[in-house]
Amino acid sequence: MRFLHHPFHALGGPCSLQLHAADAAQLQRAAAAAEAEVRRIETKYSRYREDSVLSRINASAGDAQGVTVDAETAALLDYATAAHEQSEGLFDASSGVLRRAWDFKAKQLPQQAQLDALLPLVGWQRLLWQSPRIVLPLRGMELDFGGFGKEYAADRAAAVLQAAGIRHALVELGGDIRVLGPQPDGAPWRIGIRHPRAPESAIATVELVGGAIASSGDYERYFERDGRRYSHILDPRTGWPVESYAGISVLAEQCLVAGTATTIALLKGREGRDWLQELGLPWLLIDAAGKLEGSLARA
Amino acid sequence: MAAIKNSKALAALTHAALALPGVAAAEVQTDYLYSFYQEKDTPGSQTSSGQSVERYQIHSHMFRAVMPMGENTLGANLTYETMSGASPWWVQPDTNGKPVNVMSGASIRDERVDLQGTWSLPIEPFQAAFSLGYSAEDDYEALNGGAELELRDDERGLTWTGGLGYSDDQLKPEHGTSSPNVIDSESKSTLTLYGGAAMVLNAATVVQANINYQRGDGFLSDPYKLAWIGGSTVADSRPDGRQSWALSGKLRHHLASSNAAIHVDYRYFHDDWEIDAHTLEVAWHQVLPDQWRITPALRWYSQSQAFFYAPYYQAARSDGFASSDYRLSPYGAVSARLDVSKALENLALGAGVEWYDADGSYALKSVDVANPGLVEYLSFQARITYRF
Repeated sequence: MRFLHHPFHALGGPCSLQLHAADAAQLQRAAAAAEAEVRRIETKYSRYREDSVLSRINASAGDAQGVTVDAETAALLDYATAAHEQSEGLFDASSGVLRRAWDFKAKQLPQQAQLDALLPLVGWQRLLWQSPRIVLPLRGMELDFGGFGKEYAADRAAAVLQAAGIRHALVELGGDIRVLGPQPDGAPWRIGIRHPRAPESAIATVELVGGAIASSGDYERYFERDGRRYSHILDPRTGWPVESYAGISVLAEQCLVAGTATTIALLKGREGRDWLQELGLPWLLIDAAGKLEGSLARA
Repeated sequence: MAAIKNSKALAALTHAALALPGVAAAEVQTDYLYSFYQEKDTPGSQTSSGQSVERYQIHSHMFRAVMPMGENTLGANLTYETMSGASPWWVQPDTNGKPVNVMSGASIRDERVDLQGTWSLPIEPFQAAFSLGYSAEDDYEALNGGAELELRDDERGLTWTGGLGYSDDQLKPEHGTSSPNVIDSESKSTLTLYGGAAMVLNAATVVQANINYQRGDGFLSDPYKLAWIGGSTVADSRPDGRQSWALSGKLRHHLASSNAAIHVDYRYFHDDWEIDAHTLEVAWHQVLPDQWRITPALRWYSQSQAFFYAPYYQAARSDGFASSDYRLSPYGAVSARLDVSKALENLALGAGVEWYDADGSYALKSVDVANPGLVEYLSFQARITYRF
């Protein structure tokens, strides 16, 4: 059994594939195909590329005719709709416009007037989605697949590896992980969960023989001002960051579902804990003091 | 690990995630369909013997598996059917000149096995699909193949489809009490060409138009049927070529307020045997809570007769053709269908029932003499889909 570690940079962060197979050429082929799949999704749903499907949708904002989308995009929009419903409106792929007011690099607090001007453009319920046609009724509305594109890419990369005959692999895209089978000797993959306040060290270790784990927290993008921490976890109803846990990890069959559950739980703030318990997937919460709580079995 | 409570939120998210291409890629989808088709007995008033006769029934089992492999999708279909019962052998006049059936007797019992394979893959800029199939009965063998290309024009909301199919059929009829003088073996071939376009009109409405051309060559008669000419019977005899054209239009309209969709389909058919046919179908797809769906549908059909058809003949035609097959007769038909389905996490269940009745009175133009062999049937279907 041979092993290949294939690191690359995509989706705005470090990515890596770890795979085992009998044949070195097969490993190379499979890794190249999986990386190509991640890049395909990045290109297709990039906000920064004018020719992307997402840019085409966003460019149509204000046009009552909207645009028609392909089957894959349609399924992603259906997914975003389901996540919006199940989160009672908190998970909102149209909330990206709030970025225009929040500049995490400049560490600037927005004016309430800025947010008030943007909030009418936020709201999944405002757009008209009837497959295969999507209409963003107001000029200035935009969609952003950042909330689930990376997780979807992890699932797709794993599917590509599996189709290439790989039975033992770990896909990591910017901290979200999907594994394919155990390691060749049957041992589980050991996955370290980042300490929210010391990102280079692991606060817990989880063992996986299949499925996915997604993690998110207030440590990914934030700034501190006047002793308060302003994170990227913005409530689409108010435009302000949610006071939430420092870190949340959720384990699921699909990375997409794990990632969405993590995001919704963060957006729920202090109610996130009860929501996760109700959801039924294994979960782990880390509070600002580094205290752990949850049903996720730690190794 | 915590006990999986399988909450509604988790089921909804998982369901939406699995609908994405490739997220369930590792998963193979399998289906099993069972259907039972039963024609109503032919009443004694329409048979030469004066006795009512039990007609055709078909039990059908279909297994299907679809397996995505990267950008390729492979599919396989296996159908096994058993048919039994009597069907009209020929039609003759009774003492009043009214046409009555002479039935074949309940001697027909046959099995059919059909295996189809499909392969679809992207061939830029198209999505292509290829199929190959083999079908066998005791007295019948057919090989078919097909290719289809689909092109999407997302800018204009158009999807173009074009394809062709070819089938090569061998008939080796069996000699029996209802077929003493049947031909030994014959063959026929069928070529089909089709094309269409679907267009998104607005967020709630899609229209589709299709054109279909079919050409059959070879032995197109029914080897088991006879025609009555002036007191004696001859073998069913039809032209050895048939060309047909069909135009169809479909409308799909979603009604967001009632979470339902209405489907309206119309098809016009014409062939060089001079049959003109119209089909109109209206279906209402109602989405209900908890992944239930119910679909009632109504269909109406009407056709004119083939130029050489007659219920029976007083004298032979100069071209030598003769057929009293009810499928070539002038008639109309109505059918009502009800289908219910329920989706669970990895499982989907469905069942449907259809009632169909063919009669001269349903036809667009008045039918002087309806064929006594026109069928009324009930069919029942149950299906289960599992993804793993």
